[in-house]
Amino acid sequence: MMATSAARVFIVITGFFALCGAGVLLSLIAPRQRQGSVLAVAGCLAAAALILAGSATLILGENFRQPLWSLPNLGTMTISLDQLSAVFLLVTGLVLFPASIFAGSQLKRRSSPTGRVFTVLLLALYAAIGLIFISGDAFLFLLAWEAMSIFSYLLIVFFRKQNNDASGAGYLFLAMGEAGTLAAVLGFLLLGVNAGSLDFAAIHAAAPGFGPGVRWAVFLLSFFGFGVKAGLAPVNFWLPRAYAAASRAFVPVLAGATLNLGLYGLLRVNAGLMPATGSGPGLIALIAGTITALVGILYATTENDLKVILAHSSIENVGIVVTGFGAGMIFVGTDHPVPAAIAFVAALYHLVNHSLFKTLLFIGAGEVESQTGTRDLNKLGGLIKWMPMASLAFLVGTLSISALPPLNGFVSEWLILQTMLRSAELSSAGVKLAFSLAGAGLALTAALAVTCFVKVFAMGFLGMRRRDENPRVVEAKSGTLVPMFLLGALCLGLGLLPTYVIPALGPAVRPLAGASATDALVPPFFTSSPAHNTLPPAFVQDFQGLGAQVGQNLLPGRGLVVLHRGGAENPVIFAMSPFYMAIILVILLLATYVVIRIWLTRGRSLARRKRWDGGVRRLLPEMTYTATGFSNPVRVIFDAVFRPTAVEDTSESVTRHFRTAIRRERERTYLVDRLVFYPVRAVLMRIARTLARLHQGRLNTYAAYVLAALLLMLLGFLVFQSSW
Amino acid sequence: MSHWVFNGIRTGIKTSAYPRRPETAAGVTPGLPRGRKLDAGEAKALMDTCPAEVFRLEDGRVLADVRRCIHCYRCMRIAPHPALWEQSYEWALQPGRETGFVSAFKKSINICVVDAGDCGSCLNEVRQLNNPYYNIHRLGFFITPTPRHADVLLVVGPVTDHMSLALQKVYNAMPTPKLVVAVGVCALSGGVFAESFACAGGVTDVLPIDVEVPGNPPPPLAIIHGLLVATGRKAPVDMPATPYQSGGSGP
Amino acid sequence: MALLLKEQIDKRWPDQAKCTCTGGPHLYEITCARETLAELCGWLFIDMRLKFATLVVEEASREWRLRYIFYGGAGAVWVHVLASSPCSEESFPSIVESVHAADWHEREAEDMFGLTFAGHPRLGDFILHDDAWQENVQPMRHHFDPQMAIRFRKPAADWRPHRIVQEEGAFVMPVGPKFSGATESVHFLLETVGEDVIRFTPRLFYKWRAIEKLAEAKPAGRVLLLAERFAATTAFAHGLAYCQAVERICGAEVPPRAAALRIFLAELERLRQHAGAIQEICESTALVVAASGAGIVEEDLLRISGELTGHRYLFGMLAPGGLLVDLPDLACQRALRGSQQVLRQLEKLEARLRVSSSFLDRLEEVGLVAHQVATAYGLLGPVARASADAHDLRREHPYSGYEKFQFEVPSEEEGDGYARLRVLFAECRQSVRIMEQALDTVAGGSVCRSFPFRAGAALGWAEAPRGATFHWVRLDDQGYIDRYHVTAPSFANWHGFHAAVENFAFQDFPIMLASFDLSVSEADR
Repeated sequence: MMATSAARVFIVITGFFALCGAGVLLSLIAPRQRQGSVLAVAGCLAAAALILAGSATLILGENFRQPLWSLPNLGTMTISLDQLSAVFLLVTGLVLFPASIFAGSQLKRRSSPTGRVFTVLLLALYAAIGLIFISGDAFLFLLAWEAMSIFSYLLIVFFRKQNNDASGAGYLFLAMGEAGTLAAVLGFLLLGVNAGSLDFAAIHAAAPGFGPGVRWAVFLLSFFGFGVKAGLAPVNFWLPRAYAAASRAFVPVLAGATLNLGLYGLLRVNAGLMPATGSGPGLIALIAGTITALVGILYATTENDLKVILAHSSIENVGIVVTGFGAGMIFVGTDHPVPAAIAFVAALYHLVNHSLFKTLLFIGAGEVESQTGTRDLNKLGGLIKWMPMASLAFLVGTLSISALPPLNGFVSEWLILQTMLRSAELSSAGVKLAFSLAGAGLALTAALAVTCFVKVFAMGFLGMRRRDENPRVVEAKSGTLVPMFLLGALCLGLGLLPTYVIPALGPAVRPLAGASATDALVPPFFTSSPAHNTLPPAFVQDFQGLGAQVGQNLLPGRGLVVLHRGGAENPVIFAMSPFYMAIILVILLLATYVVIRIWLTRGRSLARRKRWDGGVRRLLPEMTYTATGFSNPVRVIFDAVFRPTAVEDTSESVTRHFRTAIRRERERTYLVDRLVFYPVRAVLMRIARTLARLHQGRLNTYAAYVLAALLLMLLGFLVFQSSW
Repeated sequence: MSHWVFNGIRTGIKTSAYPRRPETAAGVTPGLPRGRKLDAGEAKALMDTCPAEVFRLEDGRVLADVRRCIHCYRCMRIAPHPALWEQSYEWALQPGRETGFVSAFKKSINICVVDAGDCGSCLNEVRQLNNPYYNIHRLGFFITPTPRHADVLLVVGPVTDHMSLALQKVYNAMPTPKLVVAVGVCALSGGVFAESFACAGGVTDVLPIDVEVPGNPPPPLAIIHGLLVATGRKAPVDMPATPYQSGGSGP
Repeated sequence: MALLLKEQIDKRWPDQAKCTCTGGPHLYEITCARETLAELCGWLFIDMRLKFATLVVEEASREWRLRYIFYGGAGAVWVHVLASSPCSEESFPSIVESVHAADWHEREAEDMFGLTFAGHPRLGDFILHDDAWQENVQPMRHHFDPQMAIRFRKPAADWRPHRIVQEEGAFVMPVGPKFSGATESVHFLLETVGEDVIRFTPRLFYKWRAIEKLAEAKPAGRVLLLAERFAATTAFAHGLAYCQAVERICGAEVPPRAAALRIFLAELERLRQHAGAIQEICESTALVVAASGAGIVEEDLLRISGELTGHRYLFGMLAPGGLLVDLPDLACQRALRGSQQVLRQLEKLEARLRVSSSFLDRLEEVGLVAHQVATAYGLLGPVARASADAHDLRREHPYSGYEKFQFEVPSEEEGDGYARLRVLFAECRQSVRIMEQALDTVAGGSVCRSFPFRAGAALGWAEAPRGATFHWVRLDDQGYIDRYHVTAPSFANWHGFHAAVENFAFQDFPIMLASFDLSVSEADR
């Protein structure tokens, strides 16, 4: 039985790669006009295979391991699919399925000669991403990782004609990615040297014997290496540039699937291969995560380019996830398995959620850009009148990312904030302080996120149309609407049913934390649940009095209440049920509607009047708030962070008192650019100038050097190991 | 800031007893002319001094249509047979039907004030309503900046051409049931500005009026009376009224 | 100075300008060629430091007559610069390059008469809003037919707010014309990017009632009603300026008792209006007790006025030649005692405000008007005096016997909201002081002397509570009005108001508006 299910999973995995390969082949022979269909069909099927493989592994609860080939001196290359990989495979599949439909529809619309290259590269990237998640050893992992970096880079610079800054952004993406890879390689080499093997299972087995120096070195290297890919401050300056430069068909994949790779690497190395001891590394992750979240949301709130806003918001969400990881690492290191499990579950939950709603939002942003020709919120407005369905789906995304119930963002952010409260059980006052500061930072982030996405939706979709460059904005086609509504439904589902999601994530987290969060978070209130009788009867009674058993005859599972259970003296930290909440919300809305429409206004006619405009003769679009104006208070409050420099501050006039123009231009340098990127670049440039005879001073040359260095390292390792 | 609190308390109660008891302080009203018995010659002299055509002769009596009075006092101060003068302030009239506010609105109404070209005095008297002396909040009247919350539209001024669209917008933006209270002679008939081509001849040319408050300007007590009449809490006065000629037709 | 002016003009512009001094000891009329106009006016305004009063346009049977009136300076002179052109030529050089105070006057003349002022950068869309009227409506022309203008109504379809702020995300915030509780109707266009007002443009004349057109061909006595009622919070000052113009044309003498009582009433009105302004300032800072205290004072003064004259806003007191009715001495004494009591209340209020830091924080260094700005824009009244521009017609060009009274012209240096408030309080003190002297010196006798009408034209002026007001009146020999032109202080102060509000935050806007004590009806007419 076991063997057959593992074999089935293997078939599915093989099918995934086969589908990617078939897609590539089909794309090579298919005519130009058909490329969109090829991409959509092959991408969707491949994504479906990923979903199947991931969910089968999660449902069966069995790890799967398949050695491939043995390489001389490097050990055996292995495919390994454990529960953690399965979670990532599943979410990648869920993202790639709608993203492929959207990318295909975009290709159809344009039918450009480069469509074939795009299709081939994208399917190859899918395969590389899939391979990363199922690598069972460092060598295969790094190989797949490199492939992924190169395919992503090629995809970003793919539409260079439309995007002049694409090449620069692409080089930066590649250079930073390779710098990160270099660090990751060093980290893996350290692990491999100390464990005597590059196989993940072997490293995991040997990890408890590592000394503190090795641990710290591995942590710092991997944290930097994968942090670059994930977009952690201060090494995320490539991210807004790359996202803005990437084509709108590719950005959803970049944000929904590629971003998770960094987080996967982080989690795999620092929690999976080498569980933390002590709170040091976790603390660094916690602080870095919080700072990343704050910086991300501050820039997201004050930017006006739709894509750049979403990019900064990705940074913010990565920050939130890493904060959760950090909390989990601290709990693991201080031997608190249950809080650690809660922290990891919350972080993974948020990671899944972010992938879904960010893909949804990027698809919506792509549709807006392709119809209106602009991404500038100061020029958009009133789109809901022209594309109501797309606007509705986009609204679901903005509500989710703003963490409003009953959508998924709320559940995971709530869980992460709850995790912060568990720091009360820790003994170190310094760590407690860090936790409370991180909690405050995340709360501020959540508040600013609401501001940010109120701005995005209000300025982009509500109000008056600000500019009529492309007056024929129409409702989005099914190639956009279907992916958006699929993702919107997933956002709603994951928001309503956390009591099914948390148990599903439980097995993935158990090996990392050493405990399951399921019992701590989802008590089996349903009598049909097998664990029901393990609950204390008085406890059950209390909650059944509140209605926690409602639905037990209709639904399987443990219950519908998420309950944060603490220790003996504090059994319930917080309880909520998004499902019941949503039902009550719907009932209240309906009741309000009924009361107002049927009872309070019975016998009266409903009058609709135009908005009150102060009696002005004509209210014109230029008399309404702009996106800049909306976020200006945030900009003013956080002036010390943004440090705008006045580029121009002039006033022109004829005679002395008739001004004809007041020009003001402020330049804001991205905080990370200002503090890290530009100084580092300046130093590099100075070195480059001194070595000018050898170098051209071009960024891509550096990228080439990094690649060469990587190869040298691997060679060195071969020599080193053979002699050892 | 405690000294402000003590100072406020020490000032004591200044508020008028109206409408429970009549206000007796001096200078609270400019008063209005009253008709009297005069023979034809004397009446003509009186009517000639009046620039606002307040008086007309009927059955040997001079009747005063006070809705037109602009308080120039010429009938009292330079006419050979001066008009009688009455220091009253309950002046509000209801030109049409019962306004019939539903009872829910009797005790608490929100008022939207629109300046449709007022000279400043009517508006200043409306502002005095929030003065401690008059304090209309005690009567359940509140001035609101937005027509969306308003039950009563209080218009001052002759409705200039430039303001008539804004006035109609305010009226349309108000929820029903709604009343229009025209305050001051300019809002009733255009007053001294009636002949201007840039003005309508009062609010009637633009909106239906429910309550008229004459005076140039009507003192705060007269405006309060108008609001009480609008809510059905006081009876309107019965005055001999003549129809206005529509103004705004040019010089 | 007097001689100097004539000599200098003769020397500088021997052929282009002719200076005569016939109308009175301090009145100069300079007939000036059109091409020298801008240079001459600039010289008067900048070098001679005269203030610009008004521009009177008259359409005579064959020619346009423009009269630029300047006043003040070291010799307290009146200088009328006259320019004319045949009716067919409707273009004059603009003087705004050097006399910025004339900006709105030229725009008004362009709108009302269809004249153009070459070199003025922003004509049109002023009194007649472009989104309400078609081009070529010239209401003050003799041949103007309102029926046609109204029947063929065709507003400009493409009207858009004039914008000059070029910054990412800049937009125009429209305020009004109906915007707050009980406020005058006026429309503001605030150019902003969200926090500060970068550029402020008032769109006045929503309340334009065309009183100057209305006054034409009406008897002088009837027009007095208009003069009192177009801006009735300062009715007496405007009526006084108008009556003085009529009296000056006809050479009429006002009996001494009437002159003294006029001053008494004018100061009573100033006191009341300043109390109202103080009340608005307190209200705008949400200091409720102070606002209530000032409100009580204002109503007290309204009642004192009502008890003394019958009317709370002093309507029906003035008549050309004196007063319509005599006021008993006893009643005046009672009114004075009431005013003195009120002043004590105001002084207590001032002392309390002076130590209320939260109140001062909202006023100090808010709405700054520099002295140079005040002079260039020709700001008037307490606003100008708070920016160290201490001009007062009662002192420099006394009328109705002000020269016999002892009083000070308060002024402050800072030019902020608090300076304006201090000027208001100080002027209240001076007003009561003048009222006391007026009752001390009031003589017996009649209060009105009737006189025959004469054809002619003259300027009447008065220092209204908000600043200097100028009424230009031309009568025919029957005593009917040919041309009536009113220049109220708020017209000048609205013009300069933008300089105070720009680069301050939105939340300071109501405070700055209150501290300027602007009247829309005065400016709109």
